[in-house]
Amino acid sequence: MKKTVLILTILCLAVALFAAGCTPATPEASEAPEETKAADTSWDDIKEKGYFVLGLDDAFPPMGYRDEETNEIVGFDIDLAKEAAKRMGVEVKLQPVVWETVTQELNKGTIDVIWNGCTITEERLEVIDFTKPYMNNKQIVVVLKDSPYQTFEDLAGKKMAIQEGSSAQKALDANKEFKDSLTEVVPFGDNTKAFLDLDSKRVDCVAVDIVVFNYYIAKGTDKYRMLDTALGDEQYGIGVRKDDDAFQAELQKALDEMYADGTAAEISEEWFGSDIVSDVNE
Amino acid sequence: MKHLDTLLLTMLQGSGVTLSLFAITLIVALPLGFLLSLGRLSKFKPLSGFIWFYTWVMRGTPLMLQILFIYFGLDFLGIKITDRFLAAVIAFVLNYAAYFAEIFRGGIQSIGRGQYEASDMLGMSYGQTMMRIVLPQAFRRVLPPISNEVITLIKDTALVYVIGLQDLMKVVDGRAITTLDPTPYLFAAVFYLFFTFVLTLGLSALEKRFAYYEG
Repeated sequence: MKKTVLILTILCLAVALFAAGCTPATPEASEAPEETKAADTSWDDIKEKGYFVLGLDDAFPPMGYRDEETNEIVGFDIDLAKEAAKRMGVEVKLQPVVWETVTQELNKGTIDVIWNGCTITEERLEVIDFTKPYMNNKQIVVVLKDSPYQTFEDLAGKKMAIQEGSSAQKALDANKEFKDSLTEVVPFGDNTKAFLDLDSKRVDCVAVDIVVFNYYIAKGTDKYRMLDTALGDEQYGIGVRKDDDAFQAELQKALDEMYADGTAAEISEEWFGSDIVSDVNE
Repeated sequence: MKHLDTLLLTMLQGSGVTLSLFAITLIVALPLGFLLSLGRLSKFKPLSGFIWFYTWVMRGTPLMLQILFIYFGLDFLGIKITDRFLAAVIAFVLNYAAYFAEIFRGGIQSIGRGQYEASDMLGMSYGQTMMRIVLPQAFRRVLPPISNEVITLIKDTALVYVIGLQDLMKVVDGRAITTLDPTPYLFAAVFYLFFTFVLTLGLSALEKRFAYYEG
């Protein structure tokens, strides 16, 4: 008798757990058709909050990084964002996240935009939306200044370091012949570690954004040189959730204004010494 | 090194996150682990079986995976946790409670049957036996492995970078990346060594205090 009671209890628990597991799915399924009819409250929500949250990898100079002296998050993207927020009548809050999970953070809702030198790629477009491109970028190959490599062919049989999850990986894939000629492509969590490997000659080259390379040069690092041939051209965009059409429209409006009236060019001159943004084909 | 004062200040702030995660995890996971170990030793098979399953899952999957699951994965099951620190605490508590449960269980089980028999002879109930005879002895047995886990915990806190928490390691990593200078890592090592030193001192003092028989 006791055993029977026990078995029945376990069966009941199992059924209860199973039911609990199923239930969240059903309300969602019936909600979905309604959602498309319901109004897009994304911009209203932001206005009510009074701010939008900008997600970034806070160690990606010069786009977004921590100032050594004040530990404040600064950068080209930050200045653009603050200006855009001002025009939209809201504040911008900065939330450091981990780059590998940045699209999940956006879709989870813990950040409202990805604004961190984020390249527009097909894979990302499958899960998020982007504003129109706000800056051009190139993926390049960097070698040690005193090394003999000048072209992709010179690097056949050599090793490369690259940032995991970056569009540099994608750009490399697009250069199949070059990629196949390399003996090893070592992924690292960030570009600095990739460059440390280059310094120690454990690898012979690094694939990276030209923006990052220029930052290192500006810092006075004299040991690197870039190859003349680029891996590929790409564009930076601001990542937003697919459903946030109203918010995206407001953001785009602010950006368009900034580009039209020259503010974006000004910010570019501050950070890069010249206007490198107004030429982005909008 | 430039701006050393800012670095040290931010490292102290990061240490705040590290140490509070450490403390909260211990405060919740130790009692929880103890309760789980008692349940595991219970004659009620479903309870003991469930806890066996729980410890298998929590010890059998990487802590980093668990952190990511609690923060991102639960969303798909309808449970949305947006507070990063809370997600980290939940993952750490569940994980470490499993390890503590196994340690406590081992400690309790290592107390010889003779103790139970003698207590029975003296007319003690199961509760009295546990409280007065078995658990005090088991406590001394589990101190070394518990100390080990505690020291591991302070380092495991570095894993929270995956959900964007600014702990000591993340602060240092960010500075090293931005300045292209690996020196901050050395400072981080010193900080962690200092924490471990304090912990080791405290834990060995605790062990000495309970070493009645060893003279």
